[in-house]
Amino acid sequence: MTIPVTQCLMRFDEEHHSLEDYQGGVQRWCNGCGDNAILTAVQRLCRDEGLSPERMVFVSGIGCSSRFPHYMSTYGFHGIHGRAFPIAEGVKMARPDLHVFVNTGDGDCCSIGAAHWIHAIRYNMNLTVLLHDNFVYGLTKKQASPTSPKGLKSNTTPRGADLEALNPISVTLGVQNASFVAQAVDWIPEVLYDIVAAAYRHKGFSFVRIIQRCPEFLPKMLEPWLQDPSKTLLLTHENGVQLSPDMARIYKNQREHDPLDIDRAREIASSDDVIPVGILYRNPDIPCYEDLRGSGQPRPAERIRAGLEAELDAFTVWPDDSTAKHAAA
Amino acid sequence: MTGGPPLTCESQTIGPEPAATLQGQAVFHLTGSRSGDELESIEGGTFRPALLAGYRDLSRLRYDYPVVLVESAADGAFVRSLSSIVDDVLQEVAPPGMEGERLRRQVLRLECELRSLVRDGAKGMLSDLWEKAAASLAVDGGESVEQILSHTGARLSVDGEVIDCDHEVPSRLVAHAWRTTQQQKARRFHDEVNRLLQALSDILRAAFIHSEGGRRPESLQAGVGDLHRDDFDFDVMSRLLGKSAPADELPVARRERIEWAIDVLKRQRFFEPPAGTSLVQAAELPYEYRFSSCAETMTAFGERLSELVEFVKAMSMAALEADGRYLEAKHDPFFDAFGEHALTLEDLALFPDYLVCIDAGDTDAAESAVVTEVLSSDLPVKVLVQTEDVLEESSLGAGHFGFGMRSMQLASTVMGLHDVFILQTTSSNLYQLRGQLLTGLEYAGPALFSIFSGSASPASDLPPYLTSAAAMESRAFVAFTYDPAAGPDLASRFSLEDNPQPEFDWPIEDLEYADEALQRVKEQVAFTIVDFIVCDRRYARHFARIPRSQWNENMIPVDEWLSLDPSDVGQRVPHVNVVDEHNVLHRLIVDAKLMQAARRCREIWHGLQELGGIHNSHAERLLAREKAAWEEEKQRELESLRAEAAATAVVEGAVGAPQVTVAGEGAPGPELAVEEAAEEAPSDDPWIETKRCSTCNECTLINDRMFAYDENKQAYFKDLDAGTFREIVEAAEVCQVAVIHPGKPRNPNEPGLEELIERAKPFQ
Repeated sequence: MTIPVTQCLMRFDEEHHSLEDYQGGVQRWCNGCGDNAILTAVQRLCRDEGLSPERMVFVSGIGCSSRFPHYMSTYGFHGIHGRAFPIAEGVKMARPDLHVFVNTGDGDCCSIGAAHWIHAIRYNMNLTVLLHDNFVYGLTKKQASPTSPKGLKSNTTPRGADLEALNPISVTLGVQNASFVAQAVDWIPEVLYDIVAAAYRHKGFSFVRIIQRCPEFLPKMLEPWLQDPSKTLLLTHENGVQLSPDMARIYKNQREHDPLDIDRAREIASSDDVIPVGILYRNPDIPCYEDLRGSGQPRPAERIRAGLEAELDAFTVWPDDSTAKHAAA
Repeated sequence: MTGGPPLTCESQTIGPEPAATLQGQAVFHLTGSRSGDELESIEGGTFRPALLAGYRDLSRLRYDYPVVLVESAADGAFVRSLSSIVDDVLQEVAPPGMEGERLRRQVLRLECELRSLVRDGAKGMLSDLWEKAAASLAVDGGESVEQILSHTGARLSVDGEVIDCDHEVPSRLVAHAWRTTQQQKARRFHDEVNRLLQALSDILRAAFIHSEGGRRPESLQAGVGDLHRDDFDFDVMSRLLGKSAPADELPVARRERIEWAIDVLKRQRFFEPPAGTSLVQAAELPYEYRFSSCAETMTAFGERLSELVEFVKAMSMAALEADGRYLEAKHDPFFDAFGEHALTLEDLALFPDYLVCIDAGDTDAAESAVVTEVLSSDLPVKVLVQTEDVLEESSLGAGHFGFGMRSMQLASTVMGLHDVFILQTTSSNLYQLRGQLLTGLEYAGPALFSIFSGSASPASDLPPYLTSAAAMESRAFVAFTYDPAAGPDLASRFSLEDNPQPEFDWPIEDLEYADEALQRVKEQVAFTIVDFIVCDRRYARHFARIPRSQWNENMIPVDEWLSLDPSDVGQRVPHVNVVDEHNVLHRLIVDAKLMQAARRCREIWHGLQELGGIHNSHAERLLAREKAAWEEEKQRELESLRAEAAATAVVEGAVGAPQVTVAGEGAPGPELAVEEAAEEAPSDDPWIETKRCSTCNECTLINDRMFAYDENKQAYFKDLDAGTFREIVEAAEVCQVAVIHPGKPRNPNEPGLEELIERAKPFQ
């Protein structure tokens, strides 16, 4: 088998990147913040996959996690609160050749951006979505978020949160066209990396909820899970996550789970006592919206202008004397 | 379902003495000469193999033909059988159960009528023929029937030309499939070229915006909509931008390169321009890719080669430019020397494939040589060799057979070229192999399609479909595929599985008939090449009909006769079961010359079976050898165990009960114990579980000379001497995932050690 001469030349001149090549500005997250682990996992993925920085776009909303694009030396879009998904969808629609990541927080995604989130799942566009879930609004100094556990005392819930927390995994699994749903924790970096890599390789809307520590505002909240590995349930499968011997020795609470089994995935997602970690669901056969709707044709400026003109002209009220002229045109 | 009268056995009459009968049959078998009245010539008769008795009227059968050459099918199916389309219509319009039964019957009648129309030479689109057949049935059934059938016609999901299994089928079906693949190729080609053109245009446009020309007042004005045009002073804006913007003019060499690539990409004549683009001038019409000889194809390819090289060069340059990876120092020398030697198969695969349709009957040795040369040249050429007559007589004259040699030899020779896709089959099987046909047409390299149409056999009464089906069934024209892209070895590439019962010498089928007492008799008979040849009048002299009264035990079926060792044949003569036009069963004995040809055909089939992994002699030999070695080894083990058991019995008798030690339960040897102790001995040095580090920066903030990140941005001890035990303990305390283990202090004089050792304990 041969390859085209263009590819020969491309490979001949292939660039190799180190982790530092993807590092943007110096992180301004708090010391010990779980966002650092997510940033490292993503940078490792970029290096290992040989991704060109100029072919990647990180889109975010507002919140601690949404500072992510600043720390990647790639294209980025630090958007507005709750609107990371529509921005990312627009980027993907216009430039399907780019790798588009979405970094969003539990407030940004599950509260103000919830409507966009639900429909983004349904569209199943080829986006890698990382939900940085630290259970609190950290950037604005500790307010309860939709995923804050019941009873959590915060600036907005001084007597404790009244409502049960929203489970982003269960919600995602309940939406039509969900095609990749996984959960990771920032304190098992090896598995976090594997899950992010699997999400990147999946064609479709890959949703990864990453449970992360907030050492500033909720320093003790995840302590029980950090101290006791048996409270973390590792989901393993030949088509999912496979643990290294070192990890398997530490995290003995494991379960074989086929990511094609959505009923079982929903059941696991609703577990209260343990945190399930792994790929809960993956269905590569669900079509992507950009494939269904995209023409695959380049859209030069002239064509875009002509399309816009035609759309706007359809609603234009022309002066009486020029109606005939425009109608004829 | 049968198309003729029921199959019956010839009635018996009193015949001559058995000895004379045997003598006459043996003489005919050995010499081909008939002596005596009991051996009848079949010349002028209309015999056909008994197994084909049920296929008198094909229009009453539901089978793969006629087919519809589907135009622009959404699901990529370029051909559909009429029956499958009718089934789809019925599934959609006829409700299940009795309610839809009447409609089902009417539509199936229409299918039968349509099949008869096509058989009688009607041509056209399916929708037109459907209407025609509906109108024809309405003559008997009334207007309502016509309305019902026309209504169902409106529910047809596909349309296209209807063709029957005739001499045109191979070329029309292959050409239609070829056009389908070329249309898909054209779409991919235009997508890629348009993408590159867009990228190059964007570079030029961006360069203009940054250029002095782009900053002129009129250019800036053109970039603002009419509504706000008066709100700006474009002269001032131009001056301002001129001061602040960097001088970023496109270098002349790069501009020329991009403009040249755009020009070449736009001028292409390999594919028809996509719909909606401006009409090309007559001189710029796209190239023709269908030819009737390989020599013409070679000439056309040679004439277009320089243009093709230039186009690939432009595409490569454009791709590098679009990606921002064109480096003049590195790429200019390469493109200066760019020529046809730089083209790869994948580059050629981007362009249309050449289709060459050849008639095997017109193919002389010289043309065969050119075909082989073209196929060995890695050019994107698809060659269709259509065979009309597989029982052609050898050029040596009577008594010598060259059955299918011309086309079979070509396919076998081409298989030796290693990288050519080959599909050999018959018209009757072509619909079933439409998937492989597409695979061959989509294959990046050359492909050969060798197809027996069965349509021009000058001396057969069978329709082309039956002739070609019988040729494949009898191994006269074997179906196989050789797909170089399927894998590296023959097992992956070569397949005989499309032949009926490929594991046997000949397919075995059930034959049922009524005997003299009108009782049903069922027996299994093989369909051999002799059954196929019996249909051809040119070979009638090799057969003699034996009246029922003279059938005897020495007459054995052809397949049985062939399986005998020649020395065991004795007086036995081979016979085939045939039927006449009234479906009465007869037996024909076969002369030795024809049996010799049949034996040769079977040996050729054996050779192909070996290639296909069936009864492979190498594998069978290896298996036998391995089996013998395994048995020998097991025998040795058995003897060894017996000897051990005997020895143990002697020791037990002398000492008493044996002491049994289970592996793993006994105390480890001294060396092993030392090793284990060494492994378990705790180290006094501090250490980090680097793989579990979550990059939280806590430790590096305490002392970044002592703690550092590795290539995965996870912490490790870079220099233990660069800090204190206190710093290690503090780092362990703030580490979010508790992966820092302080060990013991390295400096015994460090102040406050007692307290620090106590604090370090939870992290050890």
